[in-house]
Amino acid sequence: MVRVDEMVTVSVNPKGEPIGFGWRGGAYLVLSKPVRWFARREWWVEAARAQRGIGAGVLEVEMWRLVASCNEEKQQFELVHSFVGDKNVWRLNRVFS
Amino acid sequence: MTEFTHLHVASAFSSHFGVTRPELLVEAAAAQKMTALAITDRDGLYGAVKHIGACLTLGISPIVGVELSIVDDEYQQLARAVVLARGRDRGVGWSTLCAIVSAAHGYNIGDALSENPKKLQRARKSESTSIRRGELARLIGESMGACTVLLGTDSDVGKSVLRGSRDEAIALLEPWQELFSTPNSLAIEICSLLTEPGTESSVLQANRMLQLADFAKLPAVLTNSVRYLTPDDALTADVLDAARFLEPLGFFQVQPNAQAWLKPAKLMRSLAEEICEDSIRAAKLLLDTEKLADRCRLDPVNDCGWMKPKTPEKAALGIEGNPFEVLWQKAEAGMHWRYPGASEAMLGKVKHRLGQELITINKLEFSTYFLTVADVAQMIRDMNIRIAARGSGAGSLVNYLLGISGVDPIEHELLFERFLSTERSSLPDIDIDVESARRHDIYRSIFRRYGSNRVTLLSMQSTYRGRGAVRDSGLALGIEDDEIDQIAKSVWRFSAGSFRNAVGKKPELGAIAAALESDRKMNLLVDITERLNRLPRHISMHPCGVILGDSNLLRMTPVEQSGMGLPMSQFDKDDMDPMGMLKLDVLGVRMQSAMAYAVREISRVRGEELDLDAIDRADDETFKNIRTTNTLGIFQIESPGQRELTGKHQPTEFNDLTIQISLFRPGPMKGNMIAPYLDGRHGFASPDFIHKDLEPILRESFGVVIFHEHVLRILNVMTGCTLAKADELRRSLEDPRAKAKIEKFFREKSKERKYPAAVIERVWHILEGFSSFGFCKAHGAAFALPTYQSAWLKTHYPVEFMAGLFTHDPGMYPKRLLMAEARRLGVRVLPVDVNRSSNEYLVEKTPDGLAVRLAIHEIAGISEAEVSRILNEAPFSDVGDFYMRAKPSRRTFERIAQVGGLDQLKLGDFGPMHTRGDVLARVRQLNASKNRKHLDPNQPTFDFNFNDLPTGLPEPSNAEKVEAELQILNLDFTEHAIDQYRPMLDEMGVMRSDELVGLRSKTDVLVAGIRVATQTPPMRSGKRVVFVSLDDGSGCSDSTFFDEAQHRCSHILFNTKLLLISGKTRRTGVRGVSIMAENAWDLRELWQQWLQKQEAS
Repeated sequence: MVRVDEMVTVSVNPKGEPIGFGWRGGAYLVLSKPVRWFARREWWVEAARAQRGIGAGVLEVEMWRLVASCNEEKQQFELVHSFVGDKNVWRLNRVFS
Repeated sequence: MTEFTHLHVASAFSSHFGVTRPELLVEAAAAQKMTALAITDRDGLYGAVKHIGACLTLGISPIVGVELSIVDDEYQQLARAVVLARGRDRGVGWSTLCAIVSAAHGYNIGDALSENPKKLQRARKSESTSIRRGELARLIGESMGACTVLLGTDSDVGKSVLRGSRDEAIALLEPWQELFSTPNSLAIEICSLLTEPGTESSVLQANRMLQLADFAKLPAVLTNSVRYLTPDDALTADVLDAARFLEPLGFFQVQPNAQAWLKPAKLMRSLAEEICEDSIRAAKLLLDTEKLADRCRLDPVNDCGWMKPKTPEKAALGIEGNPFEVLWQKAEAGMHWRYPGASEAMLGKVKHRLGQELITINKLEFSTYFLTVADVAQMIRDMNIRIAARGSGAGSLVNYLLGISGVDPIEHELLFERFLSTERSSLPDIDIDVESARRHDIYRSIFRRYGSNRVTLLSMQSTYRGRGAVRDSGLALGIEDDEIDQIAKSVWRFSAGSFRNAVGKKPELGAIAAALESDRKMNLLVDITERLNRLPRHISMHPCGVILGDSNLLRMTPVEQSGMGLPMSQFDKDDMDPMGMLKLDVLGVRMQSAMAYAVREISRVRGEELDLDAIDRADDETFKNIRTTNTLGIFQIESPGQRELTGKHQPTEFNDLTIQISLFRPGPMKGNMIAPYLDGRHGFASPDFIHKDLEPILRESFGVVIFHEHVLRILNVMTGCTLAKADELRRSLEDPRAKAKIEKFFREKSKERKYPAAVIERVWHILEGFSSFGFCKAHGAAFALPTYQSAWLKTHYPVEFMAGLFTHDPGMYPKRLLMAEARRLGVRVLPVDVNRSSNEYLVEKTPDGLAVRLAIHEIAGISEAEVSRILNEAPFSDVGDFYMRAKPSRRTFERIAQVGGLDQLKLGDFGPMHTRGDVLARVRQLNASKNRKHLDPNQPTFDFNFNDLPTGLPEPSNAEKVEAELQILNLDFTEHAIDQYRPMLDEMGVMRSDELVGLRSKTDVLVAGIRVATQTPPMRSGKRVVFVSLDDGSGCSDSTFFDEAQHRCSHILFNTKLLLISGKTRRTGVRGVSIMAENAWDLRELWQQWLQKQEAS
């Protein structure tokens, strides 16, 4: 497992599931049914505020686990999906070999 | 299919776990068109009644369950699981659930409900709340499956499933299936919180649980293990977890994410699809969930006895025949006792009123209720315990005749209709005050008298307020204890919900305001403190409530152990009306204990038997004493504000006390009633009664509308409506929506009765403004009685009264201020003496008259065992004798000697005079020896001679003595604590408190003293005003700090003990002077500076 934490561009289907992404010049195609799950943040370490109504984004983060490949080799990837304003932001979090 | 019902929902009443109040959850469910909602609080039905009430209001079906820890026979946890009650089965499901919850708290309800009821006692003393699986199965089996257990992810089976071992999971499920074999008593709970694949509450685990359910042919239901309403609330849940684990965030396993919210049906359906990977199976999962939900829909009336009054059976009250007739006879009998030798006319009046009250009581079918309260009151009197009524109940003649209340409602013009009327049907509150020291005895007697199947204590939920919220938030963030202490201390009476807002406005929060600019943690602290505000924090015994029911009580409410050991209901006072339960308020009042103690001491020392309830209520001496404003120790009128008001008011009769007690309340103060009343009373303004018809009503208050009773009678006179109707109108006045209707009614009716338009206009203006400002006169009159009684005792038996105050500490002031008051009264207080002091403040006969002896338990740190050894072994002949027989710890031994408790043991009949220094030297010698056992008084020791005290050591100085006394007794005894600063204070020209009364208004003054009270009462303007009272030995000075002055000395305003205050005098009446403060200083700091200056010069 390799920790990456780099910005990636992701294309999604109408249900919002990733179908492919570009990373380090390569175009990756998703080969499995992506699994969405929610991890959490240590807001007491990171956040500046925690007032009522600030939203769950301070506490949790949407994760996707999927199998994808660029050429021959299949790998398992973990993407982090978040919003900055109403803009989608995707980061590649981990790669499992 | 559109339906989904949440079957696993923790409300905020799952303390330190759930986030959302039941009413809000129900509101959200109804808004989403859900037709039912469950509440399943942890370990109890704490939120159930509120949940049912909210469901009834919004027209959805309530479902009730509990989440419990289920353990094996060795009390090892097998699961945390939800148990749901079946509905619409005439209460079998509900009562089975109650029995299960009580059993989890160690109470076997079967004991109390059997034909030969046994005393309800806890079966085991386990710290944690849990139920053995076998016991749970037995209770559900006996009820033929009236409850359903949902076995979910947090169970032995769920954990095994997660490990992926199919055979193990099947084997673990077997005993569950065997034990819960009755149909519908077991189901598998499927729940996915979308956690990391392969971890607890993940889709994977949910899917495997589903496979297992299908294999075992058990129904599976979908839940979301809800613990908050919206994802945003998950942050609050984190903080509550920290409070539950008593660890900062980051030091324990936190919740996996923010998914445990009340998801709408649509999201729950897509979860089902995701878990089942098969839409047909998903549809069945949702269908089975609804099937179980339907089975559990409660019918509150037939299942829980909703709103049906439950009073003890006649036999339990010892009465035969028609309860109404019995009540009638008892009230008639009371007339001879209460009105001996009354005139025919008076008796006629009494009988007429009695008739009216009885008709109302009969119509409402409350006879049994009154008989129950009367029976308890009689039981308390038979125990020789003082009792008094409080609240609107004092307005009832029936209560007076039955001995429940002690003030005559006819003489004091109190109205029954304010207390009870046919326009309302809820049980009225009859509150009784008793001696605080005997309260637990009374509770035990009530349990004995009516049986533990009919009685349980009431509980209450304390909620997060300012300081508690700050402390737990600080804990969650891992902020140092000292720092949090500092912040919590500066949080002074404001709602935690507006913390950030308050920070900008209150000067003493200046340090926090500065920190918010840059300190991230401080910002988080403020944010999460606001989140915690008003959440239930923990359950405890209600300070005065006892529930009295019929023999089915324990089928209707679950019980758990209270702090004093007796069982208490999990329902609180707001749940009583809906559940039709009779709550009796038996409130312990320290003043009643203090007065009872004084009466006992009068009898013991003087042989005089005194009936405090029979004393003359128009004693001149007593009122004269009150008018001096030296009211310290007198019930209700000893606070600085009441003292000031006493000075202005100068009461001369009993009714004046009723008025004064009622005026000094938030309502009348906000309603600006005090000044016009005082102006009328002192003839500065002639009273304006508006109309001659109102004069008889308002004569006592010089035209000011103060009491609820005034409003009732004005409406009665001007509109011709009944007093009962008038009270309904008065209550509705508080509701802005109802006001227009009342106005129309009032204007029309009074016009019909020919009142001039100008009068109608003015009266309506007053009524409209009155709304919530007034006070119930019956309540004031009920309070005035102990006020008068304590003033009477203080006037005629000051020594015994002070002994009572010292022993039961009823007031708002520290003991050291009582000491100052004793000094002022000339009541001598004698030092601790191991041969004479007891665990109470005894009155002692001395050659110089009566005096009060300090109690031995005042020595700081003395243990109960030490106290009882001293009391049992006394008298002692000398210091060594005391050491050998009383066996004090080293610390206690030295402390007793330091405050002179051994001084009397130093005086031999012959030989030299010794000082306290000599005694202390001996104490230290003895303390230095290693082993008490080996000391033999008859054998000489190496280091000292056991029988002879050392000689020649100096007596400690007064300053040293006071220092020791303050430390050890928390009292300054030898002289006043302020006396040592006298040289500096005299040089500065500081006034003594008793000199202030001779000064003109607006004189510049300095006062000093030890802080005795700090108050921030509600003000009409809404601005905060701080009152600080200082005692300097000659009396109390009261200073008022307005905004600017608060800013000048914000750092010491609330915390510093010894203060010097500068300001201007303000005359407030004949005997009243207060100080408009300008600034304040820490006296100890000034003293240090002064000493340095002295040394330098």
